[in-house]
Amino acid sequence: MALLEIKHISKNFAHAKGTLQVLDDISFDVDVGEFVAIVGPSGCGKSTLLRIINGIVPMTSGQVLYRGRQVDGINLECALVFQSFALLPWLSVKANVELGLEAQGLPLAEREKRAGIYIDKVGLDGFEEAYPRELSGGMKQRVGFARALAVEPKVLLMDEPFSALDALTAITLREEMLDIWQAPDMPVKNIVLVTHIIEEAIELADRVIVMSAGPGRIVKDLKVELPRPRDRRAETFNALTDKVFSLIEERG
Amino acid sequence: MQFALERNAGAAMLRVSGHGKMFGIKINTRRLINGSLSFLALAAIIALFFAYRSHAQHLIAHNVPVSLEHLPYYAFCSFYRMLAAYIIALIFSIIYGMAAARGGLYERILIPAIDIAQSVPVVGFFPAAVYFFVALAHGSRLGVEMAAIFLIFTSQAWNMALGVYEAVKTIPDDSRDALESFGARGWLKFKRLLMPASVPKLVYNSILSWVAGWYFLIACEIITVGPASYRLPGLGSFLWEAAENGRNFDLAAGLLTLLAIIVLMDMIVWQPLSAWAEKFRYEFAASSGAAQSLGMLDALAGVGPAITRAIRSILLPPMRLIASALNAMPRGPQLSPEQSRRAGRMVRTLVIGAIVIFTAWALGRGFFALIRTLSQPWPSDAKQIPAAILASTIRMTVAYAISLAWTVPCALAASESPRFNRILSPIAEIVGSMPATALFPVIVIFVIQVTGGMNLASILLILTGMQWYLLFNLLAGVNQVPEDLKEAARAFGLSRYARWRKLILPAVMPSLITGSITAWGGGWNALILSEYFVYKSQTYQVIGIGALLDAATYKTGNGVMILLSLLSMILVVLLLNRLMWRPLYNLATERYRLDY
Repeated sequence: MALLEIKHISKNFAHAKGTLQVLDDISFDVDVGEFVAIVGPSGCGKSTLLRIINGIVPMTSGQVLYRGRQVDGINLECALVFQSFALLPWLSVKANVELGLEAQGLPLAEREKRAGIYIDKVGLDGFEEAYPRELSGGMKQRVGFARALAVEPKVLLMDEPFSALDALTAITLREEMLDIWQAPDMPVKNIVLVTHIIEEAIELADRVIVMSAGPGRIVKDLKVELPRPRDRRAETFNALTDKVFSLIEERG
Repeated sequence: MQFALERNAGAAMLRVSGHGKMFGIKINTRRLINGSLSFLALAAIIALFFAYRSHAQHLIAHNVPVSLEHLPYYAFCSFYRMLAAYIIALIFSIIYGMAAARGGLYERILIPAIDIAQSVPVVGFFPAAVYFFVALAHGSRLGVEMAAIFLIFTSQAWNMALGVYEAVKTIPDDSRDALESFGARGWLKFKRLLMPASVPKLVYNSILSWVAGWYFLIACEIITVGPASYRLPGLGSFLWEAAENGRNFDLAAGLLTLLAIIVLMDMIVWQPLSAWAEKFRYEFAASSGAAQSLGMLDALAGVGPAITRAIRSILLPPMRLIASALNAMPRGPQLSPEQSRRAGRMVRTLVIGAIVIFTAWALGRGFFALIRTLSQPWPSDAKQIPAAILASTIRMTVAYAISLAWTVPCALAASESPRFNRILSPIAEIVGSMPATALFPVIVIFVIQVTGGMNLASILLILTGMQWYLLFNLLAGVNQVPEDLKEAARAFGLSRYARWRKLILPAVMPSLITGSITAWGGGWNALILSEYFVYKSQTYQVIGIGALLDAATYKTGNGVMILLSLLSMILVVLLLNRLMWRPLYNLATERYRLDY
């Protein structure tokens, strides 16, 4: 059964000289328990699409259904992870993680308990009182993950979460996040990942949606049927990477 | 890279685990100290207020003699006037700035309004404000107080409002999205995002606003002693009367008191607040080293947060109450999102409509009053206005040229030698934060005694209102020149002169123009004060628009003349801004912007 149904979404931005179309007739489903990656060149509107799914950016036309029902406004069953981490510099790690819980109106004790659990889960035990500026990039993004996971969303929306990190940190964090996601006690089962790194999409996702730019359209919807854990050096992995790469290149 | 991560992690770990358990106790003692300090400060302020209020009531009936024993009373009058104006300005600027930052129609109306309000010489409105508020207060002294507070408010509010507006506008989109995706709105968004993001600019602009405020406060108080027939007890009037009566000891004591208040405010309030505000910054310039603080400042550093905590604990409960009252309001029939959106739009239209109608009514009435006043026969003095404006503009230009002549070389020297920069900046900051108006009595009386005329004094006074804006903007500009570019210039073997011409001067051009605009703004205000003085019941004046305005206000009381001189001055100021400064500013920011 489809958890999310994205139906014929288009998005125009008002421009000084007329309008600019960034998304053109995007449709796909996300099934329960599925990890979907959206890949595409910069400017294909994939980040905008993610925000439309979350409901913080209005669409020009189309529909987003969650469990078969149209969501009006912000879908609080989703949580966003940002490329820029988007941590508030004046709040401690703990207060940052509590942000979503505070918006839900949870009492303080409950907030602290939940924040503690997820700070442990992302491996930041002992850093509760630190401020974002005291952390390295990788640690900042761990806070970003903890903040999103703490609200125990049904869908985790990730907008290039590893792109602002250096390559080695990104690899470590990617593996750890995969472990957290696959752990049996993890309430979050669905992930939509937006990325421009093809290998990242193929390593992580069950399905890869390939987009082209200007305006953003879906080029291909691929199932990734490689066994997990996936080996980046395997023949089959490279074949799939090449295929996606040529799909993007043809249109680019 | 991996190594960097671990090193960072280690440092942070050390910080946390090193203080671990002790940290808990430390926080408690600090809280205790903070709490008791703010309590003590509050108690002291309240006690002093009551002590001096009873004194004041006694003194208003009679006339306060200018003597050392009454100096604290005068100082407190000035300080309370400042504090009242600042609190109003603070609340106003937060509301105004955040409203403007919502964009759309608000932004398009509120920001140009600030632009105009900022370029109008405030001092010129003091007489009008006094008449208005005295009438409002049925002729009591409260009216004069209100006029002074209003005037100080207008000198403080605009830059703070702009600061809030800019801060909220420059919040990264991702931060907004993060809060929005959690459904955080209203109070939570204000408390966690909008207000913290505004803190650095608000603190920085508060410091500037207090400097400007002191300037105008002293100006108001001096005006009231000099030509006008009402009085405003305060440091300004104290200084003037002491100077007029040749009581040099009292004069020095008054100046020292003012200096002490300003320096103490800086140490106890602004320095700790600035350090605390660093916490709320988004970007951290690594190269610009943090301000060096003295040992005593560190000891006092707890006071800033303590004061804000005290203010917060006073302000928070009523705000919470309002919020919960709003939440507890009966929901009424459930509206569909479309309906509620429509209802919201209707309420907004009604509120904005009411404001527009009220403003239109007020403007209409004001306009008709204006027409009626102007349709009275014009006095013969009106013919002097063009010549007066020309004379004033020439005086302004001379003062501006003198300011340029010393500030630009200073800025260049600061760019050459970091040591000179380190020495100059703090000295300039201290001297610049003294309200130059406090020195007006000394300057005017000295120059009148020596030269027998006002022309030199007038230019000197305008200079005091102009030069600091230029210097501060130039120094800021010099400090912003990237180290990379300076190194590149040196690496290619550019001579000192070539370096100045090719790099430093173009790079500070935007700052120079901004500084010039603010300097001329400050200059016009000083001009009104500088052209007309009553000293030992003899009037000293020069040909100028400020003198015409003052004479019309205080001597002849001719409404038409007041209006004509005010209007013509505002017209000249706005024309200069539109035709000269605005294009120059656009050119400078276009061509010499430092982003590459």
